Amino acid sequence: MLIDEKLFDKFGVEFSPGEIIFCEFEPGNEFYFIQSGKVEIVKIINNREKTLDILETGDVFGEMAILEEEPRSASAIALDHVKVLRFHRTNFDTLLHGNPQLAYKLLVIFSKRIYDAKRRLMILLLDDPQAKVMDVMNMLAEQDPHIDMQEAVTLHITIQDVANWAGMQIAEVQKILTHLNKLGKIELFNDRIIVRNIKDFQRLVNTRRKNMYS
Amino acid sequence: MSNGGTSPASGIITRSYKPGSIVYFENDKSEYIYVVKAGLVILTSTKPETGEEVKEEVKPGEFFGVKSSLGKYPREETAQTVKETVCLVLTLADFERLILKNVNVVVKMLRIFSNQLRRIGRTVREVLGESNTVNPEMELFKIGEYYYRVGRFQQALYAYKRYMEYYPDTKYSDVAMKRIREIDSGRAEENVGSDMSMDIPEDPAPRESADVDMTDFSLDDPGASSGEDMFQDSNGGAESIATEMDEFLSEPVDSDLESFSFDDEPAGETASGADITEKFYDAMSSFSQNNFETAKDLYESILEQKNLKNDSEKKIYEKAHFEIGRTYYKMKKFKDAINAFSLLLKTFPKSENVKNALLHIGMIFYDTGKNEKAGTYFQKVASMEPKDEVSRNAMKYLKALENK
Repeated sequence: MLIDEKLFDKFGVEFSPGEIIFCEFEPGNEFYFIQSGKVEIVKIINNREKTLDILETGDVFGEMAILEEEPRSASAIALDHVKVLRFHRTNFDTLLHGNPQLAYKLLVIFSKRIYDAKRRLMILLLDDPQAKVMDVMNMLAEQDPHIDMQEAVTLHITIQDVANWAGMQIAEVQKILTHLNKLGKIELFNDRIIVRNIKDFQRLVNTRRKNMYS
Repeated sequence: MSNGGTSPASGIITRSYKPGSIVYFENDKSEYIYVVKAGLVILTSTKPETGEEVKEEVKPGEFFGVKSSLGKYPREETAQTVKETVCLVLTLADFERLILKNVNVVVKMLRIFSNQLRRIGRTVREVLGESNTVNPEMELFKIGEYYYRVGRFQQALYAYKRYMEYYPDTKYSDVAMKRIREIDSGRAEENVGSDMSMDIPEDPAPRESADVDMTDFSLDDPGASSGEDMFQDSNGGAESIATEMDEFLSEPVDSDLESFSFDDEPAGETASGADITEKFYDAMSSFSQNNFETAKDLYESILEQKNLKNDSEKKIYEKAHFEIGRTYYKMKKFKDAINAFSLLLKTFPKSENVKNALLHIGMIFYDTGKNEKAGTYFQKVASMEPKDEVSRNAMKYLKALENK
């Protein structure tokens, strides 16, 4: 996306590698647009720093600040030399009127985030641990438009990832995955999981979900 | 504009629907975005938490189908007309062109979306059992502490500075300021980086204070051997302060230390790490809210902890020795407080809290009218480098003693 050069003079900020752009729990009043470089989004969970995402040129972060001040839900740290545009909430309206393209881009980003958050919620609300684990794989398969659901699906995730998505303990996830592995439903590797028949998983989870509501 | 067909000016399609027509079904995939021109559309979706049906009206001038179209995901609701209805049917390109000319509409939508995202975020946190009522002030400080403990001082510094900026006069501002100075002066690296977190040998001044031997200065104090003793059950008589301390130490409280291990064991459950840290901060928080009983219980359970598995836990274990003493002091349980401080001085003679513990012992003597003893402690503290907040407090007490 093209951003007016003049904008950078006015709103541009640069960060060196390792520098915190904003920190979890500090009040948030600004949102950011990456012009160049990579930004890591992290959260301290149970005394460990977890990477939630790595964002690149063209990505937006801190966007929750556009509505009202709220403590940041995660920290943003520059991974390399990062150039961003930083906008305060009070400039928001002016900024969008001057840059309708940016407004459009934000709409798209919000749409995607709302869907992802809802999809995650759907997993968390399932009442059966095995269904949760399967639905994590369904979700990841849905996210990749290149995946052909008719064939075996390779998902590049670890057990830890699955546990995070499902909001479950690693040990429990491990048990379920081992079980599915034994049944020949999946093949388990250190860095990836191959699902033999994802449609099978989708059907099982949908049935589970329907029964849950009825 | 008339019903049906294409509006020549914009190239945008208008479509007319009979009452009860389906515009699209849930789970359909389509990139069209609709604007109601006349009539009424009802969107029916399922609430994920309960499975209940939710209905929403879309009136003339309002959009629907925006999110799924922009996000390129299946429709989340079924759209059905309830009256004779006319809609504008926009492709993504139409929509983009249209809203680029009507930024106000986008701003309004963004606010709605942002609200929705927050609401879902809250529900997710509820389902995960994460509290929505966290205290951001405390949490921000904890972020600083996390980075400090793992030796990432640049990040710690940022968090502490922000903490001071937003919450300058709060519970941990002293600690935060101290950390900031420590990091700025480069001292932190030596402190935290050291293998045994109990050792703070770097800077000559604290070293002097760290090496304080209780016997040293208690003998300088004639008052200390005067035979008066505030604690009736502590074998009064002519013992020096040091003996007094020793006696407290001979009580069962230190037996735990026998089994306390400094070895870096891989440790049992992963939960214990979070546990001891959590407990510590909960205790600090309770203390700050004057819930001393709760704070005391939490510190006690930290002190019962064995198999500390890393430096940060050892550090917390050490700090808890001081904090529980301070808590007892607030509860006016002076004997227990002396007990705790003595244990700290014996077990962790190089702890950064040594000076503050000595100050508190002085305060206990001061509060119980043992002015001479109190004076000895305050003088000792006041003479210890560096001249910090604790020294200034000791000076204040010395002044107060003069006027007593």
